Amino acid sequence: MIKDENKKFSIKDDFSMLALLIIPVGVAVNFVGGQLASLLKLPMYLDTIGTIFTAMLAGPWLGAVTGLLTNIVTGIANPVNFAFIPVSVVAGLVTGAFARANFFNVWWKWVIAMVAMGVASILTAAPIVVLMFGGVTGSGASLITATVMAAGANIWTAFIGTEGLFNILDRIVSFLICMSVIKVIPARNLIKFSCGKFYIKNKKEEK
Amino acid sequence: MEKTFTEKIQICKKNKIAGLYPTTKFQVVILFSISTIVLNSIKLTDFKLALLLIPWFLLVPFMFAITGEFKKCMKAMKAISFIAIFIMVVQTFIVSGGKTLWVWHFIAIREKGLQTGLSLCFLILNIAGIFVWLFQSTSTKEITRCLEDTKMSFKVAYIFASTLEMIKVFSSKSKIILDAQRARGVETEGNLFIRAKAFIPTLVPLILGGIIGSEERVLTLEARGFSMKGNKTHLFNLKKSGYERIILTISIIITILILAGRIYLWIMN
Amino acid sequence: MDYELECKDVTYTYPLAQKPAIKELNLKIEKGKLYGVIGENGSGKTTLCSILRGFAPSFYKGDLTGEILVQGKALASYKDQISRKIGYVFQNPFTQISGIKNTVFEEVAYGLENFGIDVEEIEKKVINIMQLTDIMELAEKSPFELSGGQMQRVALASVIVLEPEILIIDEPTSQLDPQSTESVFKIIKKLKEEKKTIILVEHKVDLLAEYSDEMIVLHDSKIIKQGESREVLSDLSLREYGIRLPEVTLLSEKLREAGLDIDQLPITKNQILDLIEKKRKGE
Repeated sequence: MIKDENKKFSIKDDFSMLALLIIPVGVAVNFVGGQLASLLKLPMYLDTIGTIFTAMLAGPWLGAVTGLLTNIVTGIANPVNFAFIPVSVVAGLVTGAFARANFFNVWWKWVIAMVAMGVASILTAAPIVVLMFGGVTGSGASLITATVMAAGANIWTAFIGTEGLFNILDRIVSFLICMSVIKVIPARNLIKFSCGKFYIKNKKEEK
Repeated sequence: MEKTFTEKIQICKKNKIAGLYPTTKFQVVILFSISTIVLNSIKLTDFKLALLLIPWFLLVPFMFAITGEFKKCMKAMKAISFIAIFIMVVQTFIVSGGKTLWVWHFIAIREKGLQTGLSLCFLILNIAGIFVWLFQSTSTKEITRCLEDTKMSFKVAYIFASTLEMIKVFSSKSKIILDAQRARGVETEGNLFIRAKAFIPTLVPLILGGIIGSEERVLTLEARGFSMKGNKTHLFNLKKSGYERIILTISIIITILILAGRIYLWIMN
Repeated sequence: MDYELECKDVTYTYPLAQKPAIKELNLKIEKGKLYGVIGENGSGKTTLCSILRGFAPSFYKGDLTGEILVQGKALASYKDQISRKIGYVFQNPFTQISGIKNTVFEEVAYGLENFGIDVEEIEKKVINIMQLTDIMELAEKSPFELSGGQMQRVALASVIVLEPEILIIDEPTSQLDPQSTESVFKIIKKLKEEKKTIILVEHKVDLLAEYSDEMIVLHDSKIIKQGESREVLSDLSLREYGIRLPEVTLLSEKLREAGLDIDQLPITKNQILDLIEKKRKGE
């Protein structure tokens, strides 16, 4: 009983009241995910789970806003985060675009999407880190980047080479977590989000 | 006479700079950032260093001090200073190019490295520093109220305020869940695999609860007239401290002087 | 005469659901009365509330047929003004806060701000309601730090302060301890005295017997019985539908079995005391 199946998506539909209210949830998940990852000393950031999650449920625009707001809010405590707003916004846009295209229904499409998400993130981060921060930001991966640079590598290759790997791994883990959460959300809740119906179909096919 | 509840929730700041209208503070931040970028383009000495950024940076702690929030601001500067210094060190010692200025065994400082190192370090310190001033002297309640006053939708202000509260709630909940897991014998220390296993059962209930809770939140807000058309009133209102005009004028004059200096140098060379 | 609320042959199905959650609903709600709603879990009580407020289908989507009238006009025609007419209190005390206010005072005032009421007026109204709901001492506390019982009273206050003519209250005490339950019912009693029209879903049938004027019994998405409380709650056949009856009713049934001649079974303490008094006098 899914109506309006072939209806064109409009931005206004994306921003229903419910969709708006999952933005704070998404940002808080990003925040707590990052906090937990460092508390448990995991070698990953895991601070984009909320952005990926909202984008998967409610499309690229919601995802982008979640990313934007995450960096604004964390930027209040540490303004360096403002510089990385484009990275978060692109993460939301790319994930949301894949969701909108119903790309998360077959495993081999997942792989393409995850790699694309990782690549998009590194391509937006690279110019910011290289041009504004000279290749290093003080994170754990930065030390490796700095070492590679000291060994004589070009700053761009050094950054993309080390952080790229971390980024793709991060996106894969984050995506898998989101997917497993979406699988346990009841269909009646999913149906209220603009991309929710895609996951309901998946559920039926599995049965 | 005892204060009314409405009076109690107002924010009254004794310090006139701290009490500036948030929009004015934001304008000061923008002007300061523009000036910083302009100053960065003025290279001094034979090695072409952006040395003017160093005295310019003295303005940042000065602003902290006259706002009466020196300690709070300096604390927020810690993480930023770490990044800035780390970048400076990496650039100075690693980037090659130009004349070699100093060598000790295998460590060397080269002209190009020093240029970018100094410039990036003080760009970050200056711009991030002035944002620290803005956010440490302005409460989120003021920022939210200011968003409501600008032409943006009241929904934007709601999402912003709700996000800040949601972060607090989620952080404390995640700690409770993590503690509960420890009490049940789930290990949160040990090798990587063990630690990673504690991550998912802590985060997933929060996401699920958040999704389901937001449905009831929508209905609650609707029941309280959230999307009702027409004018809303506000119990909490922002006040001007009276120093807005003078502070803004000073900022504009300084920015214009810096720009003029920059143009003068171009013409001279 | 127009009823406060009227449903004409309403059937509603949630999206993705195979069968309706409410079937062929016909209901007339009169002004100033308290309607108790009972039924097993999943019998459609909460759905009924959502339909009466218009949340179904406007929020839940799905299909609704039939007509719902509020004071004689179609529910849908009220649009955003419906929150002035109908107040709604939810089951879960913790999710029904605005989520952006730092004090209980501001939380209770939130709806009035949205309504565009003057600031001085808000202060007066909020203090009034905080006294009525006994939350004065919480006024400056954070809504995020309250207990379930306190939270539910704040939620009630936040809705009552908007002065709706009709109140829908969905299992307000299901997550509360007996003491908090009592304080919630005290508030409901005061609202009844103010001649509000109240629709109250509640499991605690003894309390409903005490406070309600009329009862609505749901079973398997349908109304199986409705009418005056004493008539409904003394109907022993309701037990076949898994519905608990008031203890007083069950007790008086035992008395009847023991040979006492009782015409209509009492459902409240006062009624049974009355009955005993009459019997003693030998009437």
